[in-house]
Order: sequence, then structure tokens, then C-alpha cells
Amino acid sequence: MSAARVTKATPPRDGAFIAGASIAALLLLAVAANMLGAFDPGLALNVDARFLAPGARHFLGTDALGRDVAAMIAAGATASLGVALCAVAVGLLGGVPLGLIAAARGGLADEGVARLNDVLFALPPLLLAVLLAATLGPGALTAILALGLFNIPVFARITRASARTLLTRDFVNAARVAGKGPLAIGFQHLLPNLSGLLIAQATIQIALGIAAEAGLSYVGLGAQPPAPSWGRMLHDAQTLTAIAPWLAWFPGIALAGSVLGLSVLGDRLRERLDPRARR
Amino acid sequence: MSQARGALVLGLALYLAVGATTAAAPAAHADGVLTIGLALEPPNLDPTATSAEATEDVVYANLFEGLTRIDADGRVAPALAERWSVSPDGLHYRFFLRPGVRFHDGTPLSALDAKYSLDRARAADSANPLNALLAPVTAVEVKSELVLEVDLARPVADLLTYLGWGNLVIMNAATSANAATHPVGTGPFRFGEWRKGDAVVLERNEDYWGARARLARVTYRFIPDSSTSLAALSAGDVDAFSNFTAPENLAALKADPRFEVVVGSTEGKTLLAINNARPPFTDLRVRRAFALAIDRAAIIKGAMYGYGAPIGSHFATHQRGYIDLTQRYPYDPAKARALLAEAGFPHGFSVTLKLPPPYYARRSGEIIASQLAAIGIRVRLENIEWAQWLEQVFKNRDFDLTIVSHTEPLDYDIYARPGYYFGYSRPAYQALLETLSRTLDPEERTRLLGDVQRMLADDAVNVFLFELPKLGVWRRSVHGLWHDQPVQGVPVAAAWSDAAVAGTSGALSGRVVAGLLGSVGLLTLVLGAAAVARHVTPYYLLARLGSLALTLLVASVAIFVLIEILPGDPAAYMMGLNATPAAIARLKSDYGLDASPLAQYGAWLGGIARGDLGISYTYRVPVASLIAERLIVSAPLALYALLLAVLIAFPLGLAAAGASRRRTSNSLMGVAQVGLAIPNFWLGILLILVFAVDLAWFPAGGFPGWQAGLGPALRALTLPALALAVPQGCILARVLHGALSEAQGEDYVRTARAKGLTRRQALWRHALPNALVPVLTVLGLQFSFLLAGAILVETVFSLPGLGRLIFQATVQRDLIVVRSVVLLLVAAVVVVNFLVDIAASIIDPRPRQGTR
Repeated sequence: MSAARVTKATPPRDGAFIAGASIAALLLLAVAANMLGAFDPGLALNVDARFLAPGARHFLGTDALGRDVAAMIAAGATASLGVALCAVAVGLLGGVPLGLIAAARGGLADEGVARLNDVLFALPPLLLAVLLAATLGPGALTAILALGLFNIPVFARITRASARTLLTRDFVNAARVAGKGPLAIGFQHLLPNLSGLLIAQATIQIALGIAAEAGLSYVGLGAQPPAPSWGRMLHDAQTLTAIAPWLAWFPGIALAGSVLGLSVLGDRLRERLDPRARR
Repeated sequence: MSQARGALVLGLALYLAVGATTAAAPAAHADGVLTIGLALEPPNLDPTATSAEATEDVVYANLFEGLTRIDADGRVAPALAERWSVSPDGLHYRFFLRPGVRFHDGTPLSALDAKYSLDRARAADSANPLNALLAPVTAVEVKSELVLEVDLARPVADLLTYLGWGNLVIMNAATSANAATHPVGTGPFRFGEWRKGDAVVLERNEDYWGARARLARVTYRFIPDSSTSLAALSAGDVDAFSNFTAPENLAALKADPRFEVVVGSTEGKTLLAINNARPPFTDLRVRRAFALAIDRAAIIKGAMYGYGAPIGSHFATHQRGYIDLTQRYPYDPAKARALLAEAGFPHGFSVTLKLPPPYYARRSGEIIASQLAAIGIRVRLENIEWAQWLEQVFKNRDFDLTIVSHTEPLDYDIYARPGYYFGYSRPAYQALLETLSRTLDPEERTRLLGDVQRMLADDAVNVFLFELPKLGVWRRSVHGLWHDQPVQGVPVAAAWSDAAVAGTSGALSGRVVAGLLGSVGLLTLVLGAAAVARHVTPYYLLARLGSLALTLLVASVAIFVLIEILPGDPAAYMMGLNATPAAIARLKSDYGLDASPLAQYGAWLGGIARGDLGISYTYRVPVASLIAERLIVSAPLALYALLLAVLIAFPLGLAAAGASRRRTSNSLMGVAQVGLAIPNFWLGILLILVFAVDLAWFPAGGFPGWQAGLGPALRALTLPALALAVPQGCILARVLHGALSEAQGEDYVRTARAKGLTRRQALWRHALPNALVPVLTVLGLQFSFLLAGAILVETVFSLPGLGRLIFQATVQRDLIVVRSVVLLLVAAVVVVNFLVDIAASIIDPRPRQGTR
């Protein structure tokens, strides 16, 4: 079954899909703008201008060091999305080959991959991050590795399961008759047919990654200062709730909004691209 | 069955471990009880073996006393020695001990105990932080039962002060070895209990030699995150903070009629410490440029909210002999740039600033980085934990810059110590201190102290930032706490509280909770085993058990390897700043840390097989009991959260599946999608904001312990459980809805509808039972997630659970604890997966052989 056939069944207008896609686009825009230094003026310290309430000059207010909260949130998208994207890349690069090998080879390879999956899966990503942070020191790299390792079994499982159903298809048999080996079949014939599903799952994992990165930053294991991050903003805000409650709301809304948008987008993509998810 | 026996053993272990830690506290007298909040938990309670401030905070002048003591004004006063005499040459001190003093274990105090304690402190392999200061002591002699003589090689002007510090308290030989966990002193309070990760409780010593303390009981509660400290104070979980770590909230607290805010002084000299031995900081011009580039006023305003006096050298402003050197390097970025250019850095350079955890360091760091950026210095900030700070900065001197407050009084001698982390070595300074130590004339000493301060400032050894303020905050009902902090400690001998003492009812000991948990687990396993025996072939069971064991083995190797390569020496961390290499080596051999990795791995696995998980380095108690203490918080929390999750999921899922209109169903599932996108720690913060701070229905954090009663304990767990439950409940609702929708499309439901059942009846009678299988599967996975994954929520609410245990233990390099807890959590996940698999194969007649 090719992806093209499935897309035909998509409802023409889908508000949730559009909203999710817009949030994703907004995040990418924020990252690009941050890389060009668009938010730097807002990130400059100015102790005299601290705790300004949301208003005309700073529409989301300022923080304890007088930085513009809106600029910090926009710049913070870089840490969140950057970590989540890299972690998904780690998961894809590690998990997809493992899943394909397990599906194509079967037997001992399958069993080995399953054991590896079990071990990786049994380590909650936060726990892994705590351990890694103790070794590598806290920072983006630690977060990427911890979340990436968590993503590997996710992609390995979904790849293996879908690849196995595809293995019974005619085009696979045809390739087999043509004399192609199991690995060649895996990478040349199964992978292209899995890409839609993988993209959908990747979107969901990015959403999870953003949430997890914020959690790591909250306990101080994520992106390090002075790079702004939503998790650390929330952490700093917790002691300031009496003085500047907006500091606890806006980064949280940005965070939950991004997670929501991307997970809706991922769900919708899966419904469109994965034949099994359609009712 | 073997699982049943396992559960029995677990239940029994929980009983025993918990029983040992929850000895019933005696009923409170009407004279008041007090709960004091501390930012840091002590690693142990032996002040003679650690320089951890947190240990002194709990024990100084409360549990332990020295020959002399430092009073609230910083003066030396008699303590266990009621008087003393000094020979004219200053080389012989004679101490006359107070008669009738008894240790908490009933043994009387004699000069032998004092000799034992001082000799122990000055021994070559002593871990005592003041070991170096006692070097001039040549002998400690017992002259009679209550008379002690200390002989010196040269005069030590501050000897009486040193003897009043917390590290030189008097213990007796019989109990000193266990002081880390069961301190026995002579003080006005005796040790009650230590709930690891939560609180230390002290009980009044009714047989105290001096005036009996007015408080019947004092609880030192650990609230590591300044964010929860305000909430804890407002909610009444804590009566007082001797050192409040959130200065931004002082303005609001001052305005609040319930609280008194007392800003006092400490001995803390807060420094931007410079590695003088590392280029380019070997160049005096570079160090002076840094001193000129720092705007102390902005730091004090930005990081400390105006609290803290600027300093210009390594000397507290209230000490005799202080001179104001703050204008030695006035803030002048232009001049700083010029100096840098002169030193050959017209375009600046890059440095790393390592920041230890205290609030003043982390907060000052960002401001200092931006001030240095203004003169072209590119600063990389690195937040590190104390263990790493001790290892990297203090021990290996691997740093450019760091921020730390030196809280020992009159510790200018550290600049003369060879190999001290500043990397400052100047013979003239050492000679100056030598002269000072021999000088007994007060006026001459004052003059020399001025020279000391000037030399440190002239050499711009460090950038001297500000004196750490003591930000005391307490309820107005609390009296008698110290306003200043002339010595490390939070003495409460003279404190009292006129608040009414709330009685506790319905007390439930941890033992009962552990027993209940063990029984539930046991029952489940017995029932499960019976079902398994009936439905599953032994071959399948054996195969699954085999792969379970294999997974655990692989996991244990992975965990061990990962932990083996952790940097940071646990022994060094445990012994503190000034431990000698000999003392560290002895500790390492005690804990088997000097064995080969393979031998250590074997010992670990062998220990697990015997049910012995080892002894925690930091807490010095068995790891098994530490885990049990946390499990009786974490397991009920996970169960509570799971219950709430089910209460959220079933109405939501059933309503969505039962809705006749697709739109209703979609919007209900939309609600679930939103709920699932809200990160649990943010939800926790918002719940505190609304239900703890504004409405005060629930405590903002902390856990009173099960002995406080079922009501208070469950109240403390409600908000955290809710924060955990909402996202999990939403996941569960989606799974339930999906499974119900699928079942509704099946033939048997259609048949039922055709027979005349309403949509609702068909849903409840036919679809729901069939949808329960995937729901139970997810539920099982969620339980293990909740057990391990509550780190964030436990942090938000300062709960002493497993997640925080592992977080703390990692930070403190308590590797024995880390590896066992991680393995336990992995085992929980794997075993639950296994049970879910078995359950699925019981329900599904076609066992899925092989793997998922």
C-alpha cells in the first residue's frame, strides 16, 4: 500500500491539523529568528527594569533580571526544539535499522533487538538523563542522548511491526524472487513505504521530547544558562509567584501549546499516513 | 511459588526496615515545638568528620557542645569548660570542666572525653576540617578528672575561638563512631529521628546541665528548592527559616503580619574566586581588570535584592579590625578594558565560570557574565553540584572562575595554605600571618589584620563581592532564634514558640503502611500465580522468566558500567572540604571502593542475592532501609495517582465512546489531548499556586510522615498525585476510548444492538469488558512509570520519594544507592511488563511466542 492511496481519504478541511501545523511552523520561525539574533536585545540584562507587568513595552512582561519574557520564550524554543529534533534523529538512526534488521532477519537478531529494546525501554528517560548528567555534566548533549536513547526502542518497535506486515506483500516477494537479500529488501523496499508512518511518529516524539527537555531543564539538567529554556524559566518562576505570577504562566502555556500542537499534528499525520490507524 | 516467597520477603523487609526508622516519638509537652526549614540536608550528623554547613546547622549547640562556645554576638563563652587559665607565654591552656555533665546516653563527662575528642581531631589521619589549625598543639593532658591541659608549640591567639566551633565538640569514645547516624552529645537536645530526605527531629534533653530548653521538640526540615520555601512558610509546614534562600520574597514577608523578617550578618565572604595559578590570571593586571569590571551594587541588587554588604577583601564587616576596601577597585569598565589591553588582551578572552548550587552563586553568575561581557570577556556558565565543585574546583583546581561564600569566621589563613584552590602563593602573606599568630597584643593585632586585608585586596586574589546576609524569617509566635550567624549553626536552646501545639490523631506508622503495601503485593502475586499455574504452559513461563532474568542482567551491567565512569570521588564528597588524603583512603577501603571494578560488580550482585544492598556512603545507613523509607512514600503516591487517573479516564473515555454525536466525542477527546499535553511539573506548580498558596486547602510540599496520621499524609500527597494523574488519566482515557470504539465496531456489539440493546447498554455490557484488556496493560505500565518517573513532581513538592532519592544520591555521588535504586526501578518496569505479558497470554488464548 503506498502513501498516495491513503492521503486521498483525508478530510479536506481539518482545523486541528492546521492549528498543529501552524504551531510547528511558529516554532521553526522562532528558532530561525533566534539564530539570526532577533531576540538578543530582549535578552540583555537590565536589573532596573525587572518585574515589569505585561504591557505595551513588554507584552509578556520582564523577569527577575529585567529580560523580556516574550523574547525569552521565543529564544527558548531553540533549546526545546533543538534537543527534541536531535533526539528524534538519534532515535531514527538507531531504531529504524534495528527494527529493519529484526524484521528482515528474524530469529536471533530479532531476539537480540528485543532484549536491547527491553533494557532501553525499562530505563525511564529522566532517570537516564540524571545518570548521564552525572557523567557528561548537565547540558543539551545530555538531554539529547537521554531522550535519543529513549526514542530508539520506540522507532525500532514501530519499524519492526510495520515491516513485518509489509514483508508478506507481493512487491516484497517480487524483490525476493529477483534475488535481493533481506537487508537490501529492508532498506530499498520497506523503508520508503514506512516513511510516512515514521514521520508521524517522529512528530509525536518531538512533542514528547519538548516536554521532556523542559522537565530536564526544570531540574537543571537541560540547556544551561544563559541560553533561555522554558523549563528553567518555570523553575525560576516558582519562587516569584507572589511578585510576578505571569512568569509561571507564559512559559508553561508556550510549552503545553507546543506539545499539544505537535502531538495533534502527529496524530493527524498518522491517521492520514498509517493505514492501520484509520477506522 | 517463588514470586510469593519474594513478596513475603519484600513485605518482611519493609516491616523491619520501616520499623527501625519510625520509633514512636514521645508526646509533645505544651512548651512548644518548632519546625525549622533548612536548604540543605546534612550528609551525616558527625560535625567532627565533615565540614558540611548543614551538619552544623542541626547539631551545633543543640546536640553537641565544645569546651567553649560562640554566643549569639560572636563572643567566646564558657561551655563544657566553666573556666580556664592561660600561661603568660600563651603556650599552656588549663580547662576546668563543668561537674555533673552527662552525655545523652547517661555516661558522665570527664577530662578523658575531652582529651579523646581533641586527640582524635588532631590525629594525622583525622577527617576533622580543623585538623590543620591544631597543628601547633603538642599535647593534650588529663590533669585530674575534670582538668585538662592543652600545650602548644607556639601561641595560637584564636585557640579559644577554635575550640568553640562546631568541629571541635566533645564526644565520648564509646559513641563517637556512630555519631554520623546516632549522635550522642551533651547538648540541650538529644537526637530523635532522621527521616532521610525529609527531616531530622531533636527531642529535649530533660537532664541538661544548664537551663532546660523550652522547646520540647525541634524538627529541621529540608527544603532544597527556594521555590517551595515560601509556600512551606505560608502553608505553616515550616515555622522558621534561619537562612531564607529567596530574598525576592522578603518584601512580601515583611508586609505579612504573620511573619517577622530579621536580616542579620553571617561570616560568609562571597567571592568571585579566581584561579591565580592559571594564565592569564597569573597576571595581576588581568585580575585587577576583573575587579574593576564587576559592579557589586548591581549584583547585590539583582541577585540579592539589596541584601548583603559589599566587601573589598576577605573579611566580614562586623569583625574587629575590619577596614573598608570596597573603593580599592571602583566599578570602571573603561579602566578595566585598558588594563586588559595592557596585559595583551585588547579583545578579551574566553573563560568558564563554574557555579555551585547555592542561590547566591547561581544568581550572581548570570549578572557577572554580562558585566564581564562588557569588557570583552566571554563567559561560559557551568552549573555544577557540590560533589563536582569539590572534585573539580576545590581538589583538582580545574577552573577559571567560581562563585562561593566562605562562611568560616576569620579564615584569612586559607590564603596562606599551600595548594589551596585559589592558587595564590605569596611568601610575604605567609610571613604576615605568622607574625599575626604570634601577636597577642590587641592593638597590634588590629593593625596586622588591616595589613592582611590590604595585601589580599592589592593582589586582587579574588573579586570580593559581598557579605552573605542571614535572612531570618519566622512566624511571630517564634522567639529566641539568633539574629546573626557568628558561627555556623542554628542554636535553638533559648528559642520558644507560643503557638498552640496541634495534637496528632489517627497516627499511622510507616510500619503499618509498609505492611499494607506488602500484603497487597503478596495477595496480588498469590492470585496471579494461581491464575498463571492454571492457564500458562510451564515452557512459556520459563521462557519468559529466562528473558526477564537476561534483561535484568544486561541492565545491571549497563548500570554498573555507567556508574563506574561517573566522575567525582564519593569519599572526597563525603568527607568534605578539608579531609586529608589519608582519611579519604581509609574510608575508601572501608567501603570496598579500592577493589577492582569486576570485584565490586561481583560483590554488588552477591549482596543483592543475599538481600544486602550495602551501606549508603552519605547517610551511612543500609541502602535497603533507605529504599524502604522512600518506597512507603513513592508507592502510595503512585497508587493514589493511578486511582485518580482511573477516575479521570473512565468517565472521560466512556462518555466519549457513549456519545451519540461524533462532535461530542471529538471534543471530549480534545479535552484529553489538552490534558495530556500539560507537563506534570507545570501542573504541579499551578496546583500549588491555586490550592496551596491562594486557597490553603493543601500543603505546598513536603511530607509529614505516616506517623502524622492518615489524614495529613494523604493531604500532602493529594496535589502531587493529581499533578501526576491528569496526564496519565488522559492517556488512559484515549486508550479506553480507542478500545471501546474498536469493540463497538465488532460483530458481537452489532449483534447485541440488533437484539434491541441501546447504545449505552451495549457499551457497558459488551464493549467495556472487552476494552479492559488494553486498558489494564497501559495501567500496568503506568504504575511503573509513576514509581520511577515522579522525579519532577517529587521535586516540585519536595517529597521524599524514590525519584528524589536517586536524584540526590547522584548529585552526592552516593553510587551504592544510585545503582541499587536504578536497578530496582528497572526491575519494577521489567517485572510489570512480564506480569502484563502473562496476564495478556491468560486472557488471549493464543500466546504471542517470541517477542512483542
